[in-house]
Amino acid sequence: MLELKDIYKYYNPGTVNELCLFKGFNLTVKEGEFVSVVGSNGSGKTSMLNIICGSIPIESGSILLDGKDITREKEFRRNGKIGRVYQNPALGTCPSMTILENMSLADNKGKTYGLRRGTNKKRIDYYRELLRPLNLGLEDKMYVKVGSLSGGQRQAMALLMSTMTPIEFLILDEHTAALDPKTAEIIMQLTDTLVKEKHLTTIMVTHNLRYAVEYGDRLIMMHQGTSVIDRAGAEKAALGIDDILSKFNEISIECGN
Amino acid sequence: MKKSTTAKVLGAAMLTMSLAGAANVYAEDAQYTIGIQQFAEHGSLDNCREGFLEGLKEEGIEEGVNLTIDYKNAAADMGMAGQIADSFAADKVDLMCGIATPSAQSCYNAAMDAGIPVIFTAVTDPVAAELADEEGNPVGEITGTSDKLPVQQQLEMIRTMLPEAKTIGIIYTTSEANSESAIKEYEALAGDYGFEIETTGITATADIPLAAETILGKVDCMTNLTDNTVVASLATILEMANEKNIPVFGSEIEQVKIGCLAAEGLDYIELGKQTGRMAAQVLKGEKKASEIPYETIEEASLYINSAVAENLGIEVPEDLSSAAAETFTEITEYTAE
Amino acid sequence: MDFFITILEQGFIYGILALGVYITYKILDFPDLTTDGSFPLGASVTAALISRGMNPYLTLPVALLAGALAGICTGLIHVKGRVRDLLSGIIMMTALWTINLRIAGTSNVPLFSKETIFKNGFLEGLLPEGLLPYRTILVILLLTLVTKLILDFYMSSQSGFLLRAVGDNDKLVTALAKDQGNMKILGLAIANGLVSLAGCIFCQEERVFEISMGTGAVVIGLASVIIGTSLFKNLTFMKATTAVILGSVIYKACTAIAMRSFEPQDMKLITAVLFLIVLLISMDRKKKVKTHA
Repeated sequence: MLELKDIYKYYNPGTVNELCLFKGFNLTVKEGEFVSVVGSNGSGKTSMLNIICGSIPIESGSILLDGKDITREKEFRRNGKIGRVYQNPALGTCPSMTILENMSLADNKGKTYGLRRGTNKKRIDYYRELLRPLNLGLEDKMYVKVGSLSGGQRQAMALLMSTMTPIEFLILDEHTAALDPKTAEIIMQLTDTLVKEKHLTTIMVTHNLRYAVEYGDRLIMMHQGTSVIDRAGAEKAALGIDDILSKFNEISIECGN
Repeated sequence: MKKSTTAKVLGAAMLTMSLAGAANVYAEDAQYTIGIQQFAEHGSLDNCREGFLEGLKEEGIEEGVNLTIDYKNAAADMGMAGQIADSFAADKVDLMCGIATPSAQSCYNAAMDAGIPVIFTAVTDPVAAELADEEGNPVGEITGTSDKLPVQQQLEMIRTMLPEAKTIGIIYTTSEANSESAIKEYEALAGDYGFEIETTGITATADIPLAAETILGKVDCMTNLTDNTVVASLATILEMANEKNIPVFGSEIEQVKIGCLAAEGLDYIELGKQTGRMAAQVLKGEKKASEIPYETIEEASLYINSAVAENLGIEVPEDLSSAAAETFTEITEYTAE
Repeated sequence: MDFFITILEQGFIYGILALGVYITYKILDFPDLTTDGSFPLGASVTAALISRGMNPYLTLPVALLAGALAGICTGLIHVKGRVRDLLSGIIMMTALWTINLRIAGTSNVPLFSKETIFKNGFLEGLLPEGLLPYRTILVILLLTLVTKLILDFYMSSQSGFLLRAVGDNDKLVTALAKDQGNMKILGLAIANGLVSLAGCIFCQEERVFEISMGTGAVVIGLASVIIGTSLFKNLTFMKATTAVILGSVIYKACTAIAMRSFEPQDMKLITAVLFLIVLLISMDRKKKVKTHA
């Protein structure tokens, strides 16, 4: 279970450009929940993910993972239990290393990176088995550098790599936004399969309202650092794209757009 | 494609080179080849080289007649110095001449195994540079001349010129070994003449204005070493010293020409000539380099600039002006080399 | 023949330096100017130890460690002090000037009368008579080869993978729950250790330590890396480390040839032009690949 308690976050504190994003923001994500987050640009979606992962500091408040306070924990330590996929497919893989090398790197997460061989020959078949269901032919390109793959292929790998080792939390940061509609669909289905298979607690930020409605068991709409819609379970299932769109418009009018 | 071209170029270069080498070896009538390596571009070192060739000529070994000179400048780069010396060794020159300490050392290093004699010049402390043993005798087929400053004469001259002065300032570059040993000598001898030495170290030309400003506030006069970096910026130092009416003494003739009050200095052309004569002995086979101890110039020459003295309001004592090897009556505009 | 051997000697020594520069420039994507200070650092440590009578072979690991320490300092300045990469290197390079002078005691330390890794009783007893004239190149070849193989081994280890990842995509390293800052520091330590090792060998080959010997070391290293990786780019069977060492040999061959036809004063310009040409050639190729894809 993840808890964000009374989070305060300012940008450019102490300058004329000071911007207060979160004023006492609270969020609780239950174990095994798949949360979709929507909202306009600047509403605080990505900032929220960054706060959870420790990529950006906060002014006050606390972050608890399974009851343990991780507010002061460094980003890389938190990542031991968190997997994250970014919007940019290049951020989830190493372009100058081969698929096999990338998979081996991810496979070793949580253990020490010592002087043993970087690739374990015995695991190659296992990696192939992981890649085969993607239907992208990656299992036959084990010695190809990831840099020469397409964005969709890379994102599929990034998703696999971030969920390869046991993690408690999956963070998806608009991970289909940079892909063409067909590839986005494939990646989205893959995500759903992985999340269900591994029972991962997931937060997915997306601009695709259809994905937000179709996938996941809870939906949050963010606006100016607060959640304006937060529906779970049956309430969420009853929610349609039109409901969200009208809320969007309502907010836009308020803002004078 | 690219690789094979590279290989061809390399091959061609080797070929022309080995042909050139062969031509030297089989030429008739005592033809000599000398590889001269000078460490950096520097007026005094250029004078050394010029003198070296003159000295050889005096002994009947003349460039273009029976002497081929392969002159290389290491551009103050130690790696380059090593490579130049190695190429001399590969070309099997009859003698290597290293001008300034690092060049002398890399020549010796390359020549040692190739059995080529080395003559050095403008090495301030051949013993510290391990080019001569503690007694000053050659450590191998290597000898030459030292440009050790006549520190004692210089101190004596400053005392005569400025009877009241107490402190002498020196600016030096921390990376120049020659300067360090010269300062040690100054510090050891200064007491005998009632002086105190104040030094300030710099690492680059850019440090000079600040260093000069600091030290000029603490001293009665300044004296120069043969420090390359400082000498190159002498004009700056002179200008600042003139403003404060502080006399600056030089270490060689060129410095007096451009505005130092006086110098008990070395004549680098003379030094070079002396070196050239030693080289001739070795080339002709009269003596082996290992049989000739290194030499220094015995007598320093006094140079005075009377125009500078006038500007500073200093009366040059009679016994000094009569002893001067040369007195300049005007200040030559400083020209960068 | 001598000419060739000279080029190989210099090329292989600077090849070790180039391996260090390869790690910072190509793998870490870190323009590390510490190199200009860590190369003479290896030499000053060596000169200080040998003139105090230490076994010359022991200077190799000591120089390696000293260089690694310098690399760690650069890394700490950059990672913990959040100073920009270029500046961190400049700061360490400047500091090392004084440190090198202090270690060596003076700006010029000759080692003519001392035993070196190339000239000692042990080696003379070991090598057959006929090979003695070639002992310098043999020792250098052995050292370069061993260094390369150890580095290759490291690069294919788990830790080596992580090091390659940090230059490629440091976010991934963080995602793998590893501190990317520490990996950068480790990389800088290895790189400067290698550079310092090259300085140690160079100092014994030239039998002198001279404070100015590091000037331009980073340029030689960069040129070697760029020449090596660009010329042998299409030879997939060749390891990058091999390419880099060959790049260094080619660079030294070019300067040796250029030295015969040009004035040494012009060498820096020639280096710059050579550098530029290789860069342009390799960039041209990159463009072609892109348009094809």
